[in-house]
Amino acid sequence: MPGENISTLILATAVLFAGITGFIIYFIILYRNKQLINKQEQERLQSEFRNEILRAQIEMQEQTLTNISREIHDNISQVLSFVKLDLALTDGMAEPDKQQKINSSRELLSQTINDLRNLSKSLSFEYIAVNGLVKTIETEVERINNSGLLGLSMSIEGESYSLGEQHELVLFRIFQEALNNTLKHASAKHLKISLQYFNHLFTLTLEDDGDGFSKELRYNQSGSGLKNMENRAVLIGAVATIESSPGKGCCIKISLNPLEQQVYADGNYPNSPG
Amino acid sequence: MSIIALLYCLLLIVVSAIGLTWYGRLTVPFKILTFSVLAVLLINVLSAIYSSKYKNNAPILQAESIIEYLFYSATYYYLFKSKMIRMAIIGSMILVTIFFFINALFLQPFHKVFPTNIYLPTQVLYVIFSLLLFKQMLLYPVNINIVKQSVFWYNTAMLFYATTMFLTLGLTNYYSAHKINDYAIYYFWYFSSFIFHILIGVSLLAYNRKINTAHAR
Repeated sequence: MPGENISTLILATAVLFAGITGFIIYFIILYRNKQLINKQEQERLQSEFRNEILRAQIEMQEQTLTNISREIHDNISQVLSFVKLDLALTDGMAEPDKQQKINSSRELLSQTINDLRNLSKSLSFEYIAVNGLVKTIETEVERINNSGLLGLSMSIEGESYSLGEQHELVLFRIFQEALNNTLKHASAKHLKISLQYFNHLFTLTLEDDGDGFSKELRYNQSGSGLKNMENRAVLIGAVATIESSPGKGCCIKISLNPLEQQVYADGNYPNSPG
Repeated sequence: MSIIALLYCLLLIVVSAIGLTWYGRLTVPFKILTFSVLAVLLINVLSAIYSSKYKNNAPILQAESIIEYLFYSATYYYLFKSKMIRMAIIGSMILVTIFFFINALFLQPFHKVFPTNIYLPTQVLYVIFSLLLFKQMLLYPVNINIVKQSVFWYNTAMLFYATTMFLTLGLTNYYSAHKINDYAIYYFWYFSSFIFHILIGVSLLAYNRKINTAHAR
């Protein structure tokens, strides 16, 4: 009977439509909740990222001031005192000797001027922003090599590219922390730094020939710089691998895929299905 | 050709025009979707011709069953992120194609019978794909209103299409078994096809490259 057919069909259709509509409404509510949670999480991560960047900047400034004060104390003031003493001795000297003293003092002064010029290239965030990671590390390598504290060698593989200001700042801070650790605790003579720039991978490797340390020691040290390095690497989407054993030095490797943007760094979710 | 069939073809023309207008900006899955609408349009025209000329459109409906599945599953293939699901979709495309030939040759002859053996399992697969894609959306939400997300509209269209087709086929079998006139089913089928292609049109209109570039491979 046609009437019966239609009522069966209408009933079936109504049930089906109600089911689908109910499901879609439920999905929309679920999705909105997810969006909200996701947004809050994103904001939290962004805020953490900003704080970490700020902390890294402050630490870098502190490090820069320490370097400058050490340089002034250990080098410049020593040389200037020596020059002052040398010039004081010229009173009553014969003319040729006096001229010789003046000449050597002049040389020392010009060397000090050079040192001051190098010092003025302060290793601040602005320096990285303008010159990039490679140049900044090169400057630091030159400074440490000149100081004679440690022998540094640097190699670059591939054509360097920018990793973004914030990423480079964090990477440099990791480098600085690793260098400090080597200078203070490793008793190393040499530190090998290598930067590799591939299409989908950037790696920064620091390898020293110092005392090294055991796994137990690494995990026992509370608030250790190593943990800091790992956390900072995670923050920019990189992976930090730290390998060491007693007497065999230490190797720190930071790997980063430059194409993978972090949600908290740029506020986007590139892999979302939408 | 009936008025309702003409209106349906008109709708298909409008939807494919939307897709073709935006074609250059669409990602792969939505380009495939545009072609699927064009294919359905062509099939409907051919079906009308066969019906009036040979009084039998079974070969066209047979071809439609496999063509639709290949288009829609290819669209899903590009929308999923999971490699496992993508491989499963490719596997299902191969299996359904093989089964289509077996069915057309031995079970439901190509020139005689409507291929329910193909339609029934493929509708189940559409429902599974649709639910999996909804799950994927929940796992990776974006901060854009859901009604502006073409993936949401496409997936809703597929869920609606698959479930209504299932109902249509079920009722057709029931009516035919009980020798009841199935003209109501005929209109119901058009009604659900209208809604399905309107939703596809909305998905192409709501197309948001920012969201959908993630799916382009």
